[in-house]
Amino acid sequence: LSYFCLFHSGAYCKMLLHAAKYPHCAVNGLLVAEKQKEKKKDSHSTPILCVDCIPLFHGTLALAPMLEVALTLIDTWCKENKYVIAGYYQANERTKDFRPNQVAEKVGARIAENFSEAAMIMVDSTRFTMGCYEPILAIYDHHENKWKCRDCNVDSFEDWCEAQKITSALLEGRSYESLIDFDNHLDDLRNDWTNPEINKSVLHLC
Amino acid sequence: MSKNVLIIVFTEMRDKLRKWREDNHRNSEQIVDVGEELINEHASKLGDDIWIIYEQVMIAALDCSRDDLAWTCLQELKRQFPGSQRVKRLAGMRLEALEKYEDASKQYDSILQDDPTNTAARKRKISILKAQGKSAEAIRELNEYLEQFVGDQEAWHELSELYINEHDYGKAAFCLEELMMTNPHNHLYCEQYAEVKYTQGGLENLELSRKYFAQALKLNNRNMRALFGLYMSASHIAASPKVNATVKKANVKYATWATNQINRAYQVSYARCLL
Repeated sequence: LSYFCLFHSGAYCKMLLHAAKYPHCAVNGLLVAEKQKEKKKDSHSTPILCVDCIPLFHGTLALAPMLEVALTLIDTWCKENKYVIAGYYQANERTKDFRPNQVAEKVGARIAENFSEAAMIMVDSTRFTMGCYEPILAIYDHHENKWKCRDCNVDSFEDWCEAQKITSALLEGRSYESLIDFDNHLDDLRNDWTNPEINKSVLHLC
Repeated sequence: MSKNVLIIVFTEMRDKLRKWREDNHRNSEQIVDVGEELINEHASKLGDDIWIIYEQVMIAALDCSRDDLAWTCLQELKRQFPGSQRVKRLAGMRLEALEKYEDASKQYDSILQDDPTNTAARKRKISILKAQGKSAEAIRELNEYLEQFVGDQEAWHELSELYINEHDYGKAAFCLEELMMTNPHNHLYCEQYAEVKYTQGGLENLELSRKYFAQALKLNNRNMRALFGLYMSASHIAASPKVNATVKKANVKYATWATNQINRAYQVSYARCLL
């Protein structure tokens, strides 16, 4: 059984902006989807739409306490907005290293406990370009306690052309300089990890 | 633009670069933007500052794959300081950026032949191992380095990070203990140590983590990570089936206090937003 995972343009571009803001660090974050009201009869064909992305940390990803804080706060925010945490993304520190590590598997498994169709996403930095000519993600699904890689192509997007156009434009405009992740929030609580300004820019470009 | 405005712009740019140098900021794109303009338009006004700026801009240029700019800076420095070990190290860094790791390593080896105590060259060699993903070797070399240069805080911190990435929290804690001993007023080391202990897990480590989160807060009452950490560790201890009623009660108190402080901190920040 393969679970479709569709990326909304805003979710995709925030992942890449996060990686672009900290090119010398590992980065990670969460993906959220709209909570399905009820499971339809043929629910296995309903794709999960990743509508937003919450960038979490940069640098050292393997420490527990702030991750737990982030998961708790974001879970609360999700409930208020009828979202559910549906996935986890990570870009490793070294460009050529795009395999999931222990951190990715652990956090992914934790999310899968609450959302069985959770996806774990690794960013392939070797193919990261300003023009965003192709999707640079690898999607992993949780099957029988193992993570299996699934192909990510333009069909994994709600509208790939739009995602490509928006992400490229925001990269060129250096919007990543104003992207806020949870680490930035902990440094100064006024920093808003929902990134309303970037969301506005995305809407403008849609 | 009037001459006065140009002077203001120039001094602002030079001061920005200085601040970024002092804070060791890795905002390479901005450094390249400001630095390149400063070098191209205002070189004559910089005096002797120009050399350290060439160095700063060169390193930032390497970060941004601007080999053209890095090369220009390197040539200026080579011309001004022929035979300098410091410039040789920069040449090595350029080779690293081009992923010519063997050549870079040879460059650093030649520095070490002339000066075996050159710490910069040794640390660059360890960086090469890190860049190649050879974590175990990097850790081994860094440990050897620290046996000789036991006071190098940057190295202790780098080692703690390498251990954390390998999930060897016990050894990471040891490195942070070294740093806390020599920097007892540094709230960041305290807080990081607490995070490592928390991650290690187990009741004893949780209690230790709570104590160090509290200590970090004492040193800096605006450290939000310490405040959140205090809340998380106290809550987990209170919820543990292994603690007696007294300990449970005390930790509930700490967690409640932390919650109130967190709420207050958010209220203050929202108020500041509205100003």
